[in-house]
Amino acid sequence: MVLSRQRRFVTPGPEETIEELAARALPGQPLQAAVDSIKSWNLHVFAMRRPPGLMLGSDVIFVEPPVSNG
Amino acid sequence: MFDVIVRGGTVVDGTGAPGFAGDVAVKDGRIAAVGQISGEARTVVDARGRVVAPGFIDPHTHFDVQLLWDGAARPALEHGVTCVVPGNCSLSLAPLKADDRKAVVGMFQQIEEMPPEAFTTAFEWTWEDFAGYRAAIEKGLSINVAPLVGHSVIRLWVMGPASQERAAFPDEIAAMQALLRECLKAGAVGLSTSFVDLDAHGKPVPSRYAQFDELDALCAVLGEFGRMLQVVPEFYATDITIARIDQLAELSIRHGIPTTFSPLFDTLAVPDNAERAIARVEEQFARGARVWPQMQTRPIDISFSLLRPSLFFARLPRWVRILRQPLEQRVAALTDPDTRAKMLADLGPDGGEAMFGRLVARGGDACPPEYVGKTLSEIARLRGQPAGLALIKLSLENGLDVAFLSASQGHQSTDRIGPMLAHPLVHIGASDGGAHLASFSTYGDTGYLFSEFVRKAGAMSLEKAVAKITSETADIWGLKDRGRLAPGQCADIVVFDADAIDRGDELPAFDMPGDGMRYVRAARGVDTVLVNGEVAYAQGAYTASRSGVVCV
Repeated sequence: MVLSRQRRFVTPGPEETIEELAARALPGQPLQAAVDSIKSWNLHVFAMRRPPGLMLGSDVIFVEPPVSNG
Repeated sequence: MFDVIVRGGTVVDGTGAPGFAGDVAVKDGRIAAVGQISGEARTVVDARGRVVAPGFIDPHTHFDVQLLWDGAARPALEHGVTCVVPGNCSLSLAPLKADDRKAVVGMFQQIEEMPPEAFTTAFEWTWEDFAGYRAAIEKGLSINVAPLVGHSVIRLWVMGPASQERAAFPDEIAAMQALLRECLKAGAVGLSTSFVDLDAHGKPVPSRYAQFDELDALCAVLGEFGRMLQVVPEFYATDITIARIDQLAELSIRHGIPTTFSPLFDTLAVPDNAERAIARVEEQFARGARVWPQMQTRPIDISFSLLRPSLFFARLPRWVRILRQPLEQRVAALTDPDTRAKMLADLGPDGGEAMFGRLVARGGDACPPEYVGKTLSEIARLRGQPAGLALIKLSLENGLDVAFLSASQGHQSTDRIGPMLAHPLVHIGASDGGAHLASFSTYGDTGYLFSEFVRKAGAMSLEKAVAKITSETADIWGLKDRGRLAPGQCADIVVFDADAIDRGDELPAFDMPGDGMRYVRAARGVDTVLVNGEVAYAQGAYTASRSGVVCV
């Protein structure tokens, strides 16, 4: 059974920072661009959470924008 | 001589098979025979003109504390529910060290909106471990209980305050595994975890600090017993829900366990939310995973007054902070012009019209009669005030005892929800029974299933509806010998009128410890409920029977 393509994600490692996660998840990109992308794709962590940006071990962190299901 | 014969009804045996005319005989707590039975019994229940079905199973409740003073989980039992699953959403009352009680009670108050008096005045804390909690509730059960153990409390037990600070070390994960194993041996039906909840201080609950490898290790223990993992996902975001479905599928396949997530809502704000989630569930089942989405039957309605904190204000942090204060300070804050100005500013430039205008004054409280049944928009016009200010002032003028109803906040389209509930991979549940006491009634979802989705919409047959909340639930959760009317099965039986079974109107009741208030719905059309062969409810009254057990 082949699963349909869904949005790719990772979970944060212990004590991992956004910079470390971005470098791990998007290794081909300049670091700041990678960080900005990760933040923009994960508003549930980096905008809506209090305090913003508190990453938890159980979080789903998307490493790409929403995919088209059309 | 049988103990009980339920005679002359239409037997709907829980398998989904067509109902048939027959009797059900009970001996020693078990079903002894089904069909045309000529023997005699000490008790005969007249079921002529009624349906005789297995007792309903409610797989998502928070009756953990209520069971300590009310072994019937009232009013769940009178709705035909003979088994409840408490301990959902990472929270249970065991294992729990005495020093950690206050923290966990705060989580129950914050997440499940339970009054503090429920934990301080109605029972004596006599346990710390899971076996002790089981013993404490088993003293007076008239309903069956299949309790989950909460990931947050397991983490708290092992890690203490660090459970809300960091990832667990390998030795701590091993200790959690050992503790979970102990709980499962003591009768836990599985483990619950949460990816969304906050404690009383607004901090994520312990389970949210767990790395996936911690959850994986705990699921390995569940695999030793074949028991359930329940999670609360980020149900308001479809992509995240699908990511959680994929995580659950991995755990299910790797450890050979059933998993379930709750809730799954339908909302017109995100019309493809439930549809996409169910499609992913179908794909994961096809590759061998068991990931059961739980969907509730009832629409989302929320009631509140400014007398207590309410999830209605979840998107207004300042309001939440103010309404969580003790009464005197809360009134002072609501009266203070500066504070009030800030609260009103939070509502936007329309003064709260868009956010609050459609609220309806419920009545039955201190609300002046001329406002009862009117929308806040209408009340605001009558008073010449913006909606937000009208809400605050009207509440202050009447001791804060003015309740408003926010109806149809989602999950209200019968045409859309009916086919989903009938879907073979959708698990009917997520009632939240025993929680959110002052926000909405969490009782009567089974009656609503029959009145709305069987009788009114025809979304499924009566037999299918019964199967969904009896045998299918028992099979999903591994509840042995429950959910069917067949010889040898436990005699959990409900007798009801197929044309009348329903939930009653939502009404406030003041029957919680410390005169606490909750919204309830009485049962309609349910005649008799037997639990393990004893009549626990009949003709509108609870009996003295205490035949419920921890059924794991």
